[in-house]
Amino acid sequence: MATEQQEHLKIEQLRQQSADEIETIAGREKENLEGWIPTLASDAEIREALEKAFDYRGDVTITRKDGSKIEGYLFDRRSGTSLSDSFVRVIPSNERTKVNVSYSDIAALAFTGRDNAAGKTFEAWVKKYWEKKAAGEKNIQIEPEKLD
Amino acid sequence: MAVPVSQAWTVATYVLKQKLAGRKRYPLVLMLEPLFRCNLACAGCGKIQYPAHILKTDLSPEECFKAAEECGTPMVSIPGGEPLLHPQMPEIVAGLVARKKYVYMCTNALLLKEKLHLFKPSKYLSFSVHLDGEKEHHDFSVCREGGHDIAMEGIRTAVAAGFRVTTNTTLFDGADPNSVRRHFDQLMAAGVESMMVSPGYTYDKAPDQNHFLGKAKSRRLFRAILSNRKKSWEFNTHPLFAEFLMGKRNFECTPWGMPTFSIFGWQKPCYLLQDGYADSFKELMETTEWSNYGAKSGNPQCANCMVHSGHEASAVDYNFGTLKGFIETAKAYMFPSTYPDQEAEKLLNEWKPAHAMPLVQIQGATKDQLQPVSGD
Repeated sequence: MATEQQEHLKIEQLRQQSADEIETIAGREKENLEGWIPTLASDAEIREALEKAFDYRGDVTITRKDGSKIEGYLFDRRSGTSLSDSFVRVIPSNERTKVNVSYSDIAALAFTGRDNAAGKTFEAWVKKYWEKKAAGEKNIQIEPEKLD
Repeated sequence: MAVPVSQAWTVATYVLKQKLAGRKRYPLVLMLEPLFRCNLACAGCGKIQYPAHILKTDLSPEECFKAAEECGTPMVSIPGGEPLLHPQMPEIVAGLVARKKYVYMCTNALLLKEKLHLFKPSKYLSFSVHLDGEKEHHDFSVCREGGHDIAMEGIRTAVAAGFRVTTNTTLFDGADPNSVRRHFDQLMAAGVESMMVSPGYTYDKAPDQNHFLGKAKSRRLFRAILSNRKKSWEFNTHPLFAEFLMGKRNFECTPWGMPTFSIFGWQKPCYLLQDGYADSFKELMETTEWSNYGAKSGNPQCANCMVHSGHEASAVDYNFGTLKGFIETAKAYMFPSTYPDQEAEKLLNEWKPAHAMPLVQIQGATKDQLQPVSGD
């Protein structure tokens, strides 16, 4: 789920208008998180960064306090009352398993994978369409990413 | 009738059993996502934006069957990703059909014609083809020129081979109700059994975040589309859900109505929002803070949602939960209304294709450039 910061456009819109009156609802703010290495100095910073990692559309790399690293897709987080009873769940990029990492074991976090939706807005597609159309191309499309 | 009598009977008896058992929360349709990989890359889709290792991972047939048995719904919808890219999809569908589940396999139909021979016609199986509108609108919506023609060919081939074929249409800001109505005519002429239409949802993970309908525009749009409807149109959505879309009645969300299972587990709380995952259906039902979701919760992420996955289950529950609901539903099925509405007619006549209709909003595109594709 997006954080309050990411949802601030919608929250602001809803402060000014009832949901029943809104014509076009605001989407999530586009944050460029790719490559981000958040500071994890306080509990609040750790929780905020991991919430964003949960929301991220690419892989992240977690460095544990024992120095071991895990790179993969952070698909879930379970927030408890303290860092030690909160944990993230990661599917590593090289195996099909689910790994739990306690918030209190995390020394560093990096958004190392590519944001898989960045640059693929509707406007970007339409712009690309007209450029290709003008160049005489046919069967124009946004092609799905190659997986291998 | 938009669904076979046996399906309507199965669903009705299932819901009545839940009611008689005193279950306050029960699922209606399992949304089974066996993969996230897709052969389209739609800007408005919030389902496929994952790293390659996630996109390459599939649920096994056994995992799919276990999920179906765990939640026990009479209907299973298979979205994704594109199910026809799953190498074991015929086995998954056959296994669900053998369990007497009514399966809606949601497909963009790009591969339907070539893979049709892998499936067997059955009253339990329907191909639910994703078509977002007439040719230009659909092709722009799915970001692929020519997608509409391939899908229509797939529909015709499947219908000719004796399969049940339904359609699902998602509308975003910029949808033209006159065009959507023509689209319905085209679908019925192609022989589809029935159609579903729903507004798009503001997926967090969707690349495009600027074209999601708000409730005011959704209601106006659906009133224009679904009022004064043609008798030839068949819809496979609950008639009271259609009235909800048209702004004629209100339903709160039933987020547990269509639980979603994927390689991550059981998605909390619903098909649309990703607020974590449970490892079992029981855990999903028992540990989700349901009061945090739905329009009345004040959750901004639920504020504009009018999607079928949350609200059609509410219509069904109202149908069986109250005498008034039962009578209203019975009336809607026995004496289907065309919803005559002069104001809706006026809306249609005065509707101007809006900014989001892609071919008229592009800065720098001249009128001459627009003509070949849009037909404007």
